[in-house]
Amino acid sequence: MKSLLFSRFLLLLPWVLIVIIVLDIDSSRAPLPARVPSGGGAGRGEPRSSAARPPPQRRPEAALPTIYAITPTYSRPVQKAELTRLANTFRQVARLHWILVEDAAARSELVTRFVAGAGLPCTHLHVPTPRRYKRPGLPRATEQRNAGLAWLRQRHQHLPPPQPGVLFFADDDNTYSLELFQEMRTTRKVSVWPVGLVGGRRYERPVVENGKVVGWYTGWRADRPFAIDMAGFAVSLQVILSHPKAVFKRRGSQPGMQESDFLKQITTVEELEPKANNCTKVLVWHTRTEKVNLANEPKYHLDTVTIEV
Amino acid sequence: MAWSVMGLCGESPNPGPSLGKGVACLCVPATQGNEELWVQSVLEMPKRRDILAIVLIVLPWTLLITVWHQSTIAPLLAVHKDDGGDSQRDLAAGLDSKEYCLSERDIVEVVRTEYVYTRPPPWSDTLPTIHVITPTYSRPVQKAELTRLANTLLHVPNLHWILVEDSQRRTPLITRLLRDTGLNYTHLNVETPRNYKLRGDMRDPRIPRGTMQRNLALRWLRETFNKNSSQPGIVYFADDDNTYSLELFEEMRSTRKVSVWPVAFVGGLRYESPHVNAAGKVYGWKTVFDPHRPFAIDMAGFAVNLRLILHRPQAYFKLRGVKGGYQESSLLRELVTLNDLEPRAANCTKILVWHTRTEKPVLVNEGKKGFTDPNVEI
Repeated sequence: MKSLLFSRFLLLLPWVLIVIIVLDIDSSRAPLPARVPSGGGAGRGEPRSSAARPPPQRRPEAALPTIYAITPTYSRPVQKAELTRLANTFRQVARLHWILVEDAAARSELVTRFVAGAGLPCTHLHVPTPRRYKRPGLPRATEQRNAGLAWLRQRHQHLPPPQPGVLFFADDDNTYSLELFQEMRTTRKVSVWPVGLVGGRRYERPVVENGKVVGWYTGWRADRPFAIDMAGFAVSLQVILSHPKAVFKRRGSQPGMQESDFLKQITTVEELEPKANNCTKVLVWHTRTEKVNLANEPKYHLDTVTIEV
Repeated sequence: MAWSVMGLCGESPNPGPSLGKGVACLCVPATQGNEELWVQSVLEMPKRRDILAIVLIVLPWTLLITVWHQSTIAPLLAVHKDDGGDSQRDLAAGLDSKEYCLSERDIVEVVRTEYVYTRPPPWSDTLPTIHVITPTYSRPVQKAELTRLANTLLHVPNLHWILVEDSQRRTPLITRLLRDTGLNYTHLNVETPRNYKLRGDMRDPRIPRGTMQRNLALRWLRETFNKNSSQPGIVYFADDDNTYSLELFEEMRSTRKVSVWPVAFVGGLRYESPHVNAAGKVYGWKTVFDPHRPFAIDMAGFAVNLRLILHRPQAYFKLRGVKGGYQESSLLRELVTLNDLEPRAANCTKILVWHTRTEKPVLVNEGKKGFTDPNVEI
């Protein structure tokens, strides 16, 4: 009899263990697409508990929507410096996924090494810009941003809606305050905010009345449908996925119309959500870095070691 | 599979009936030693039940092992498990001749640090404090520069930011910015005397920019910290438009006297660095612009131990009569000799700080009187 019970127990033991572990995984994994929480507090990434027996009353925190930052980049002396300080900012933001797209025919070693040690979730893509599009006056980084969009669409195509997530385009020389990410996380469709040091002015911003965007306060071509800079808006992932053909266009796109051409495919001015205190605070600046003076670099008698800068 | 069956069989003296499920003991014959009996019983057991029983035993253990494997990796990769699956998928045909490569290996490596977003990191009792002295002055990009510098400094444990404004009074912009970052900071100000003979708001061009502010910070340090106190500290001069990697701060923390490293984008070169000999000592400077300066190094290329600052109270940056590029020498020659310098950054072969400069923004559309609302702070 005793041996019978014992053997029965041994048979049931693995099943019981499985049930416990599955319960533990389910409770510690982020829950399925939840409603977008209102207002972000400082996102906390709690260390995952791997307790064998999860407390049954503990509900996991409503998952913060992931912010996807698409950054086109190209090789020049200050590239690593720009990416470093951008990474230092992004690492302060919870649940941010960085999509870095190189303007190159192949992945460069510098960026590959950088991504490996970046310290935040990062996707490294690359797509070269055709030579004929590299003239001054033509829109830049179109192919790279489209590559980021394509990757994002592909990644989510099999998952059921609603997909929480916010996407924005982060150029590698701009400056972002941490408050900006809190503001954009609550985007339902497309949100907008002021941008500093752009358009020949201290700042540009959407004009807001009664919580709706009614016009554009800008120094350059205010007649554009969306007179806003690339750094001045964010789009929710759901909108991107439900408009699979919305991409940045090259043909027929006038200079400065890139943002307008893109946004008019996915939204209207009435639907825009103003952020940053009804678009009265500047949380992102369109800084540009000076071209580096390398006049003293020798043509001959190069250094004995090769150092990456 | 065999061992589990064996285990079960081993426990019971009589294999067949005691299990009650008709498990065939394939390995251990009955202890009675009656081979014919055993073979017979094996053949008699209904095969379907055998298989069912074996499956019933094997299945949970395999499930257990895979689930356990997953559960230990899940905390690290929970966010990125989707990424792993992507690499196998074919790309959409609509994108002609473009290749999107997903660096899946990189994604896995990158999630080493599990960031808990409380900033700044908690104060440690064992790490020496790094006192970062940043002079700043008012211009359109000031808030942007200080914001991204603060975003970097927020990663560094035991950091004390000494921000010195070039202004008559402490400005509300800086006061608010410092308070909102949450950093451990000291806010000072001293105005470089303006040269009123020149038109406009021109500073006295004979005084290099930032000198009075750095000197004020040094004086503050000497007044605040007792010479004999054992609080370890490192002093570093960080301009607000440079770019700093986080590794740099850890390299300088172990400074005993003065440590040095290469700086990118100075002196018209990709980088300037000290010459380090095989013994790990600095014996010269790899620069094109005046390499015979006593210390041909940029402000961002060295750090000083606080004790040294406190023990040499007369050491300051020279205010006037300083040739271009000799500012750093004017301080360092009072503190240390070439022999005492400690090379860092892998014997001065890695670039951890870049002397970037930010373009002056084009504000033509503001016009003479200013177009935008001056109350909106940028």
